[in-house]
Formats: sequence, structure tokens, C-alpha cells
Amino acid sequence: MLPLFLLQWFNMIRMKNIFLACSLFLCTLAASNPVETGHARASLITNLQDSQQESFYVGVRLEMQEGWHTYWENPGDSGSPFDAKWNVAESLIVENVEWPTPITIPYPPLMTFGYEGDVVFPFKVFRAIDSDLSSISVDFDFLICADICIPEKASLTLDLSSATPNALVDAAVQNLPAKIIQTQSIVEGNRLKTKFKFSQPIKEAYLFPRQDNLFSYTPTQQFVSLGDNSYEITVPVLKDEVASFSGILSINGEGFQIEEQLGSTASMSLWQAILFALIGGLILNLMPCVFPVISLKVLSFVSMGGDDNSKIRNHALSFVGGVMSTFLSIATALIIIRSTGSMIGWGYQLQSPVVVGILTLIMLGIGLILLTNINFASGLTTFGSSVQSRNDYSGSFFTGVLAVVVASPCTAPFMGAAIGYALLQPSFATLPIFLALGLGFAGPYLLLALKPEWISALPKPGAWMETLKQFFAFPMIATALWLMWVFMVQTSGDALILLLLLGLILGIAIWMIATFKGRWKWFGMLVTLLAAVQIFNNLPENTSGLLADSSAEQWNLAIESDLQAQDQAYLINFTAAWCITCQTNEKTAFARDKVKEYLIDQNITYVKADWTNRNEEIAIGLARYERTGIPLYIFWKPGMPGSKILPAVLTEDLLIKSMQ
Amino acid sequence: MKAFLTLIATFTFSSLTYAAEIKLQNPPINTEAPNFVAINSYGKTIQLSDLKGSPVILEWTNHDCPYVARHYNENNMQSVQKIARDAGIVWLSIISSTPGDQGHVSPEKANELTDSRGASPTHVLLDESGEVGMLYGAKTTPHMYMIDANGILRYKGAIDDIGRGMQFFNTAFKEAKNYVSSQINQLLANQSLAINSTTAYGCSVKYNYD
Repeated sequence: MLPLFLLQWFNMIRMKNIFLACSLFLCTLAASNPVETGHARASLITNLQDSQQESFYVGVRLEMQEGWHTYWENPGDSGSPFDAKWNVAESLIVENVEWPTPITIPYPPLMTFGYEGDVVFPFKVFRAIDSDLSSISVDFDFLICADICIPEKASLTLDLSSATPNALVDAAVQNLPAKIIQTQSIVEGNRLKTKFKFSQPIKEAYLFPRQDNLFSYTPTQQFVSLGDNSYEITVPVLKDEVASFSGILSINGEGFQIEEQLGSTASMSLWQAILFALIGGLILNLMPCVFPVISLKVLSFVSMGGDDNSKIRNHALSFVGGVMSTFLSIATALIIIRSTGSMIGWGYQLQSPVVVGILTLIMLGIGLILLTNINFASGLTTFGSSVQSRNDYSGSFFTGVLAVVVASPCTAPFMGAAIGYALLQPSFATLPIFLALGLGFAGPYLLLALKPEWISALPKPGAWMETLKQFFAFPMIATALWLMWVFMVQTSGDALILLLLLGLILGIAIWMIATFKGRWKWFGMLVTLLAAVQIFNNLPENTSGLLADSSAEQWNLAIESDLQAQDQAYLINFTAAWCITCQTNEKTAFARDKVKEYLIDQNITYVKADWTNRNEEIAIGLARYERTGIPLYIFWKPGMPGSKILPAVLTEDLLIKSMQ
Repeated sequence: MKAFLTLIATFTFSSLTYAAEIKLQNPPINTEAPNFVAINSYGKTIQLSDLKGSPVILEWTNHDCPYVARHYNENNMQSVQKIARDAGIVWLSIISSTPGDQGHVSPEKANELTDSRGASPTHVLLDESGEVGMLYGAKTTPHMYMIDANGILRYKGAIDDIGRGMQFFNTAFKEAKNYVSSQINQLLANQSLAINSTTAYGCSVKYNYD
């Protein structure tokens, strides 16, 4: 009796071991039904971890015999990509394959692109919440070639409810060419030259173009280092004109996505950029977002009408100093951020709800101070309300700082091109352009500093100023309201209530500071500060606050080449809630019925790229046009060699005219 | 003696450059088609320039390539050949497979294939060196070229529009737009074709690359 019992027990242990081994190797195979197709073994595997996951990957794994290969989506001179037909439950959606980085498979004089050995093709799967996990099957037709080619196929089934996660899928997803590399390309003669930056030494690089019939496929591509981490790769082209292409740039075997538009940008010289920056800066004074702050400054100069010239000069210079040093700080910050490899743009700081929140409170605070006539000068000059502080040059300085901070979401005509140029150039070119921008912006006040007597041309100071000053509270509060809306789009209604609460506390604090003396004043400030810290700590994370617009297609990096391939005219609107020039254009042009009808009549696809929240892809999309800020409007219709950039300030007539 | 040395030098030099330069040409559309000389399956020398006066269609082929096999098994290539031959067009089927590689055949085998498949090419050309193939930039089998009666290259590319991707093996030929048979009338009129350049599909041409 006992020995038999022991034997059974022993058997159980052994079975357990087998089961263990099975969960490592055999079960994966058993569950995915590997199919021997002739020259490969095909199997279906997944990285699904738990039954609650709403998105995961399934992979078709091909273990090809030595010497055999299959193809990338552009197979090169011959061959064919595979074809996968999925048969899945309604609760599942299987996306298109995410192609792994291919390798070159030369058959001189021919060149093909594909995969050898053991490869996993990952497909992303989305699943309806709480739906049952069912079986998933695929008919996988592929061409497998050595010297000769054979079409082979596998019908694979995987039971997701019992599938073991396979690390090969995660590895395949990990190695996908997901990152986008920024490139600048030109066609010279029958050569495409593509420049890119890469921070590590490059042993080998190859550009795999996705479109066929554009390039000829050579065994190697000429590749040179331009220094400063810049490289240039040369690809022979078949056609004189290449408007756009996409592909994968393989660097040391690691793949990066390329999405390239050519010929749509006219490069400018440094001097041209500086000139554009000067003009742009000057016009920036008149842009809607800067106007309230600038008008206050003008008012403060009016009030100095009777003062002596040296005082006016000093105030004007302080203001200019504030403007210039802020532009300089911004440029420095941008250069530093850029050196870390991030894509940045003008107005990018307003993509942070915290910055928007603080700006809201500053605007609200200035509004309150102006409206209630609280004399703040003695206590807190740093609020920028320099109207009262005639002798305080730091007030003028800070108004300069504030004007630039508030101007940052704006792009004036000429300015976008200049800043775009500045941010894509080496550091030595970035600084002068930003300084020119500051100089343009501060130009009128600099002039005032040189010729203080011109101030007499302004109206005489008087009681009307008090009224006007109070009136200026409203543009300030309106700006605060706009910023609140931006904040809400970025976060949520709950977060907005927190911000409004903060506004209330700010109001109380201002009142306390103005009303009480000594210790109480500091107490008021402390309360404000504590409350602010507390609330900002409770702010929710960025949510994807899209500017809903049912008539617009959502933008993606490939949309231009896709639409051009379909001969479909399009209008792209790069916008954001925080970009007030964009919002003005929305109202004066895009939202007008006449424009909407024109778009429908002419069959123009309207595409919107919403940059309210941080978005690397949009930053790269802008960089294609050598822009780093918005607004940016792009138009193309069949027959045009490349897309064109529309003016930054639009009316409905101007918009329609520029599309004709 | 000097002439002899020059001859040797020229020969060595040209054969060297030839070996180094296994390069596909890419003849431009609507210009004169590059002239070539090749041996047909009956051992006769065929020169393109001798054929001026009638349009010429070039078909790169390899009977063991699954793409070509399907075109012939379903009588698709033969029917295009018939349309062309009935219109007075010269049809040249060209085999550029190197000896020992897939698709390379003896002249007898080539004729046997023509008979057994009911094909009607004017000539089957045996381009063992791949010279003609590279001159025309032939990449795949099938790869088609259309030359008008004045010797102008009017079309290069795929035979039809169903070749990219594995759909080829699942799509009926009657659903395909055949770029060759549908444009024969324009070719006869010595006109530029509406579609004159497409990406050819199929197996690679088995050139000698070792």
C-alpha cells in the first residue's frame, strides 16, 4: 500500500515539474498552434498579462530557416509584405501591424528590405471593457525567399483566456522603431540629402523609404558626419521632385521613424531672421494677449507727462531692461532644454497648467488692484503694478518682465518664422534672434528713452487716467478668464474650482495686505502662499483636453503625405487653447459659415492639430515648417508642388482668398 | 604591337569595370529604348534596332517563380500575348536567370515551355549574363516594358495592379487592371501612355552576383 502511495506522490511531483516546464516552453507552443509552413515555423503569441487588460499585443512569430527571409512593408526591388487577415470577436479590435526595423537583404544588383531568422510582428489589440477573453485567429500569408521565393501561409489560433504571456512580444514591442527622429532633407540633382542629429557615435545607418518608386535602393548609403552630432545621409532618387516621404532610419540597427516634407520651407539667412524678429517683436505689442499690459505701461508714461526727462528715460530703460533680460532668460532656458534633446516651442510654457494657473492669478491680482485702487506701491512693488510707483524703477522693470511673460503665448506675423529659425539653429544664432525680438518688442520705449520729450505728444495727465486705469482692470480680468478656460481645457472642471478658490484667497490676501499693517500683512502673504502650495499640490494631472471640433480631422504626422497621396486638398490648423491669436483667428475666420461652406464646396479636408497640451509629434510637425510656435496654417491642393503656409492673422476673406 | 597592347589594355580595363559595376540602369520613359543584341531559343541573333517599324513588348520571365507561374497557370500572360501578337506587336520573353539559378533553361526547355503553356512570344531570349536585364533595370519576374514602332520606350513596370502584397495570390485576374493589354491602342498610335511607369512586382531576377 505504502509504496504505491509513494509512487503516486512521486508521479505527481514529476507531473508538476512537467507542468512547470510546460509553462515555460511547451504551453506557449501548444496554445498558439505553431504551424510549419515549409521554410518557417509560424506561431501566434501575446503579452496579455491579466484578464482585465484593455490593450495588449499579439505577435505573429516567424522562425525562418537559415538563408530564408520575408519582407518589410516596402519590400525593395522585389518581394512582398505579408498579409494578415484577422478573425476576432466583436469586442476586439486588432490594429495594423507595427513593423519592426528591417534590415537590408542584398541580391546585387537588386536590394530588398526585410527580416531574417526569428522575427515577431506585433499587432496592438484593443478590447471592450469587461468583455470575455476569447480565441483570436489569423490567416497569415507571406512570401518567404532565399534565392527563390515561395508563398507560404499559416492559419493560427490563440486562446487568449489561457495564453501565457510571452516575453518575445514585449521584446518586439520594445524594439519597435517608435521614436521619431527629426530630419531636414533636400534633393540635389538625383540625390536626396537628409540631415539629422544623433548623440552617439554612428557605425552604420540606412534609410528605408516607405514609398516605392521614389528612391533607388543601393547596398550602402553614403553617410557623413557634419560635426556637432549632426550627420547627413545620401539616398539616390528616381524622380526630380520628391514632395514628401516617410520611412525608417536605422542607426546602428536601432530604428527611428522619419516623416519628411520637402521644398515647402524656404530657408532664410541669419540676417533675414534677425530682421523678421525685429519686425515681429514690434508687431507683438499690438497682439491681443499683450495689449492689456502694454496699455498699462503706456498709461504710466502718460502720468509722467510733467516729469523731467531723466526720470522718463530711466523708467523707459528699466522697462526695456525687463523686456530684454526676460527674452534673454527665455532664450537661455530654451537652449538648455533643447540641449537635453526635447522638442520645444514658443509658448510651450503655457502647456503646463501650473504656469497657466499662476498667470491667471497674476492677471486677476492686477485686475483687483486696478479696480479697487488699493495702494500697493509701498508694500509690494513686485506685483508689476507700476502705475502707482513713480519713483520705483524696479516696477517698470517688472512690467517689462510681465509683458514678455504674457506675450509668450502669442505669435505675431514674421515672428513665427524667425523663432522657428532660431530654435533649429545652433546656439550662437539663437541668442541674437531672441535679442532682436526683445529689441523690436521694446522698440517704442527705447525710442522714448532716447527722446523723452516725445512724451508731450501723449494726452495730458488728469482725472481721466484714474477712470481709464479702472477700466483697464477689465481687459486684465478678461485675460484671466481666458486663462481659466485654457486651464480648464488642460485639466478639468474640478481643478478650475480649485483655481477659483485660489483666486478668492488671493483677493482676501490683497485686501489684508492693503488694509492691515505690519505683522498682519505678512500673515496675509503667508496664508496666500500656503493656500497656493496646498492647491497646486492637489492639481490633477494633465488630461487630454482636446478642443472638440466635429468638422475637423485629427492631425497626425503622416496626414499630409497620406492626403497628398490621395490627391485630397487640405487645410491644417495648428492651434491651442492658450494661443490667443489662434483663438481670434478661429472666431474671425475658421468658425465663419462662409469659410465652412467654402471648405465643403471645394472638398478641402479640414485638419486640426491641438497643441494645448504638450505633444512631441506636433512639435515635430511644426519643425517641418521650421516653426516652433503657433498659429500655423497649412494649405495644399492637387497641382501644387508643395504645401503653403497661410498668413498668421486671418480674416474670412483672406483665408478664402489664400486658398484660391 | 602598339595596337595589340591597346587592345589588351582596353579589354582588361573594360572587363574590370564591367565586373565592378554590376549596376542596374534605369532607362527614361519616352526616350529611345536602349538597343541590345541577344540570342533566341533557336540560336538566332535578335537585335532590337532591327525590329523598328513594329512595337515591341519585353517580358522578363522565370517559369519557376510563383508569380510568373500563376500568370501562366491561369492563362493570363498567354491572353495578353495573344492580344499583342494579333495587333502586330513583337513579344520578347527574356530569361535573365544565371546558369544554375532558378528559371535558367536550355533552349530546348524554353521551347518546350512555350509549347506546353500555349504561349505565343515572337522570341524567347536567353540572357544568361543578365546584360539585357541590367540595361533595362529589370528587377522582377514578371517585369514589363513597352516600346513603340519608333523605338521609343513607352512603359516600364508591373503587368497589372494587383501585385503589391500577398493579395496577388488571392485576387482574380479579371479584377486586375492590366497595364499592358489596356494600353496597347495608345502604343500602336506611338503615343505617350497614360500610365507609363509603375513599380514592378514578383520574384527578383536571378542575376549572377557571386
